[in-house]
Amino acid sequence: MAKEFLKSGADSRKSLLDPRTKILLVITIAAIVLGGGSGRRMNVIRPALTAIPFVLFLLEKKWRLAAAYAFSYGLAYWGGIFLIPVTAGFCNSLLVAFCGIFAKFMPGIAMGAYLMNTTTVSEFMAAMERIHLPQKLSIPLSVVFRFFPTVREEYGAIGDAMRMRGIRFGGGKPFRMLEYRLIPLMVSCVKIGDELSAAALTRGLGAPVKRTNICRIGFGVCDAIAMIICIISIFLFLADKFAG
Amino acid sequence: MVEIKDVSFSYFGGKEDLGLQSVNLTIRDGETVLLCGKSGCGKTTLTRLVNGLIPHYYDGTLKGNVIVEGKSVPDTELYDIAQMVGSVFQNPRSQFFNVDTTSELAFGCENLGMPENEVRERIRRTVNALSLEHLLDRSIFELSGGEKQKIACGSVSALEPKIIVLDEPTSNLDFDGIRELRGIIRRLKAAGKTILIAEHRLHFLKGIADRVVFMEDGKIREEYSGREFFSKEAAFYEDRGLRIPSIRQLPYREKQQAAEDEPLRLKNFCFGYPGKKQILHIPECEIPKGIVAVIGHNGAGKTTFAKSVCGLLKRDKGELFCQGRRLNARKRLSACCMVMQDTNHQLFTESVIDEVLLSMKKENREKAEKILDSLDLLSLKDEHPMSLSGGQKQRVAVAAALGSDRRILVFDEPTSGLDLTHMRETAGKILELGENGAVVLVVTHAPEFISCCCTHVLHMEQGRIVENYPLDREGQERMAAFFEGTGGKWEHADTAYEKRNGGQCPAGL
Repeated sequence: MAKEFLKSGADSRKSLLDPRTKILLVITIAAIVLGGGSGRRMNVIRPALTAIPFVLFLLEKKWRLAAAYAFSYGLAYWGGIFLIPVTAGFCNSLLVAFCGIFAKFMPGIAMGAYLMNTTTVSEFMAAMERIHLPQKLSIPLSVVFRFFPTVREEYGAIGDAMRMRGIRFGGGKPFRMLEYRLIPLMVSCVKIGDELSAAALTRGLGAPVKRTNICRIGFGVCDAIAMIICIISIFLFLADKFAG
Repeated sequence: MVEIKDVSFSYFGGKEDLGLQSVNLTIRDGETVLLCGKSGCGKTTLTRLVNGLIPHYYDGTLKGNVIVEGKSVPDTELYDIAQMVGSVFQNPRSQFFNVDTTSELAFGCENLGMPENEVRERIRRTVNALSLEHLLDRSIFELSGGEKQKIACGSVSALEPKIIVLDEPTSNLDFDGIRELRGIIRRLKAAGKTILIAEHRLHFLKGIADRVVFMEDGKIREEYSGREFFSKEAAFYEDRGLRIPSIRQLPYREKQQAAEDEPLRLKNFCFGYPGKKQILHIPECEIPKGIVAVIGHNGAGKTTFAKSVCGLLKRDKGELFCQGRRLNARKRLSACCMVMQDTNHQLFTESVIDEVLLSMKKENREKAEKILDSLDLLSLKDEHPMSLSGGQKQRVAVAAALGSDRRILVFDEPTSGLDLTHMRETAGKILELGENGAVVLVVTHAPEFISCCCTHVLHMEQGRIVENYPLDREGQERMAAFFEGTGGKWEHADTAYEKRNGGQCPAGL
């Protein structure tokens, strides 16, 4: 899975949507699914938005991600409907919290994963420039964007080392697991970040000129459809919140 | 032209020994200069003076002047230096800004705001000149180390700088990668670039370096012409703590073969991702006890094999028989221990001693201190592991492995980026482990290291074990032949390379 995540950059050179559309979708889905509202219209829109990441995963042939998303969301949803009425007490509140949070956060996270998965750093930078974000913001943002796959790679390597040294839950010191996992991660991320900046600076990043970008991004039919869905959803969401 | 005039430098808050003291060096146009010396001798610092990272990125006190192409480096902004000096660094993981190769090649030009057509034209020229066609439009995560360094060189040459600085570019490369890098450096040289390389590994620069500068304690000690330097006797390099550039010059050391012990038996070590070719295919194999070097070309499955031995692979059906015990993957996880190439990943605690205590089944401070003492770490026992140097971190990882009392130890590339002294130290420790009865597997690309401490060689290709021999006098010959075949005899490799790529002089760089 990690491998697929990393590879995606080059495999799907021309992805279905423009990075800007993807960002808009992330914001829309996260806001509306999280923000709630339970009118009749919202009951149509929320499931529709929830389905968008799933459909996109399928269209980009990311079968595993699609399955993982469908399964985990389905589980949380099913739990919310069938398990909560039949449990009581502590168990019930735990389930309510767990299923509720999961079902609400999952679509936004899945959409974010889609964005990360199908956008190259270069496309992302081009998109940032097109919406006229100043370099002071766009450079740090693209560094963060560049960093996710690296963090994941490092995280995996540290996990291997921990397993091998027998540091696991149920071992002697369960409460220090987080510390053991995070400290090496932070140290190596800082180191990589430092080297990355040095390498980028020696290749002229930050020069006071308008940066060009050879990767072509632009809106197509799919973008138009996605935009319309977003705009309608946001409009109805706001109407629902403030008018009704 | 690069002129370094009476430069002294010390890092802020850094240790004294990493700086430079009154260094003078002039590099003429089109010259290739190799900087060598022990770790911490200041060769990396010297490269940073030329590419401007000192004083623009790393803080410190700088005296003297550095002039590149007639401009004073301290008074020139980094993005202006970028057009004159290109830099390639040691860690391919952290010098790529993009995740796909074409964007990476374009990155420098884009930063300087060149028009799109020109960027494309420059990419085309660079790709032609360095024959990178097959690497275009790939994800950098699926490239080998050597291919990554080729792209790094390409990305730098797209800016068409006159000077190229390489800081230990082979640290993370295997023999194939080094050969590819050598090909690229030759092409850059043929195109008239001025090249400055700081390196531990010297052999691949034979026939390329015009001048060799030997540094020690932040000073330039000696200078040789390339021809003179590479024709010295083995003792010359040893005296200076340098790695020996010729495989045939490696000293043969008599080692005790632990013959009477029952060997390890491996059964059904097969592994592959579903739907893809098997990466590992070892139905049955016997490994004698001792110190076993695992060698082989890129992608031979060495690392997968090492991981499998340690039980780190999922759905692993392999079984290992050791002293009559049958160990499946789960049991191997607690019977074996791997010291990884990047030791940053496997040190978790706040102090060196805690690191050893953590891996013990029952904490025993006295024993932990004993282990630390044997590895010259006792004086550092309360230091934070992350504050130590690379070699010290590696020793801490070894100490932790010893503390766990595991019988089977696996080292993945323990010598990458080490100079001769530190390599010998590591070899010494591994020898001791072997004498104490541990079984040690070492995945390595360093023939120097193998001839220092290994007793047996396991040669893998395409997931299979193709050769399995003791490292006696005859074995040493076979091992040397392997490394020569993959890249020891550069002259042959170069001719083959040029035949493939049609002529050596690249047009348009």
